[in-house]
Amino acid sequence: MYVARESGLHKLHPLTKILFTLLIITAGITLPGDWTGYFLILLIVLPLAYWGKVFPNLVSTAWKITLPIAISVILIQSLFWGKGTPIFEFWIISPKIEGARYAAVSLGRIFLIMTDFLLFSMTTRPDTLMIALKQVGMPSSIAYIIVTTLQIVPSFQRKASTILDAQRSRGLETEGNIITRARAVVPIILPLVLGSLVEVEERAIAIEARGFNSNKKETSLIEIHDTQLQKNIRSGFILMIVGCIIFGILWRL
Amino acid sequence: MLENIKKEFTTRTLVLIPIAIAINIAIGELVVRLKLPIYLDSIGTVLVGAIAGPWAGALTGALANLIWGLFNPYAAPFFYVAAVIGLIAGIAGKQGAFEKETPHWLSALVGAIFVFALTLFLLAFINASTDETGFTSYPTMKDLFAQYLIVFIVAILIGAAIGYYLLQKGGYAGMWGLITGVVAAIIGAPTAAYLFGGVTGAGTDLLVAAFRASGGGILASVLAQGSVSDPFDKMLSFMVVWLILIIASTFQGEINSSRE
Repeated sequence: MYVARESGLHKLHPLTKILFTLLIITAGITLPGDWTGYFLILLIVLPLAYWGKVFPNLVSTAWKITLPIAISVILIQSLFWGKGTPIFEFWIISPKIEGARYAAVSLGRIFLIMTDFLLFSMTTRPDTLMIALKQVGMPSSIAYIIVTTLQIVPSFQRKASTILDAQRSRGLETEGNIITRARAVVPIILPLVLGSLVEVEERAIAIEARGFNSNKKETSLIEIHDTQLQKNIRSGFILMIVGCIIFGILWRL
Repeated sequence: MLENIKKEFTTRTLVLIPIAIAINIAIGELVVRLKLPIYLDSIGTVLVGAIAGPWAGALTGALANLIWGLFNPYAAPFFYVAAVIGLIAGIAGKQGAFEKETPHWLSALVGAIFVFALTLFLLAFINASTDETGFTSYPTMKDLFAQYLIVFIVAILIGAAIGYYLLQKGGYAGMWGLITGVVAAIIGAPTAAYLFGGVTGAGTDLLVAAFRASGGGILASVLAQGSVSDPFDKMLSFMVVWLILIIASTFQGEINSSRE
């Protein structure tokens, strides 16, 4: 997801960005007002994306991910809303105003979560995030899991495709009715999983030989730039997140 | 307790977890490519739970969704559901669900009871009535039995057939999968309903639409959709893991005997 650019947003400390991301989502969910999500996107997320020089990437990726959900939300909420004022009636189709409004409100929340997360993952290198999280006390085993997963997912996707093609060339039917397609699942899953279980032993020996269980403090090739100002801002963000949650609960009581 | 948790996280477990998450993602995408109406995106999580234990399973589930969230933010808020799936898979593993072979009649019984309970739930949901004050009342079991006796008998027969032919010798693992699915549906529904308006953009949205049309609220419809699709999905995942472990242990046995 990371998009390499020279921008102020890219240079910020990863923890500052992740706390800010969480703050925006918390604010979008807890603050009162139906259209908060849209305001936060327009006033904060999009300008920041422009500053981070990822505006076109963000918009096109968010569009691709949210379009199917958006269509579903609009159709289901407006067409299948129980009682309400119909916008128009045609045969059994009668979308309701209340439903359309509900769809718009929940879409605001969906858009906010998508764009906010994407802005973070587009402007933050995963390895700098791991180093930063380790510095504030995350166990290095968790960091190992996250970094390794990000590295091996593409190779597993390729492996799954290879197995699919291999089984097809042996005559496995992967198209046709639903029963035919369902039967194709097990002959593809079994080689993939059994093959990867064999890898576990090799990988375990490899990382143990590289001192994975050592108690010594690790050093890192990449240094992350941090400032006192950002440290203060981060404490501010944490206070604001807590404040948003308390305010949101009190408002709804 | 802390001792037990530490015991689960050996180097082998830590190596297994990223592989399991990659398996989740690769198989989840494959199922979409085959256009099947299931998810099957927690096979890796169940595998870790079964091999390493509940805490490792829970960590795998939570991290899988959080990491997937970097590509598709939709998955991230459901990390706690995935953690619970891994946790239950671990408990099932401790109970020996992935080692035992179940007699066919027991599988048939598990299938029958489950489809019966599902039918009861759905009929109660469809026949619920809401008065003007917004208070929802559900029909009594007696009324339902009197009204839908044939439906229930058919449901029990179908359930028994599913148990006999689909679960076969994996009835015990399948049963744990069904339980996991019900739990996942219940704890996931509030997040799906509140954060996303009850819609996922996947094929299961048609079910949500059907329940909305029969008069259910958003939360109730999401819950009803989840309790139809999740148990079957998790049942299949648990059974795939059961099959994998049976095959793996057979292989291991062959390797050991050839070494001797």
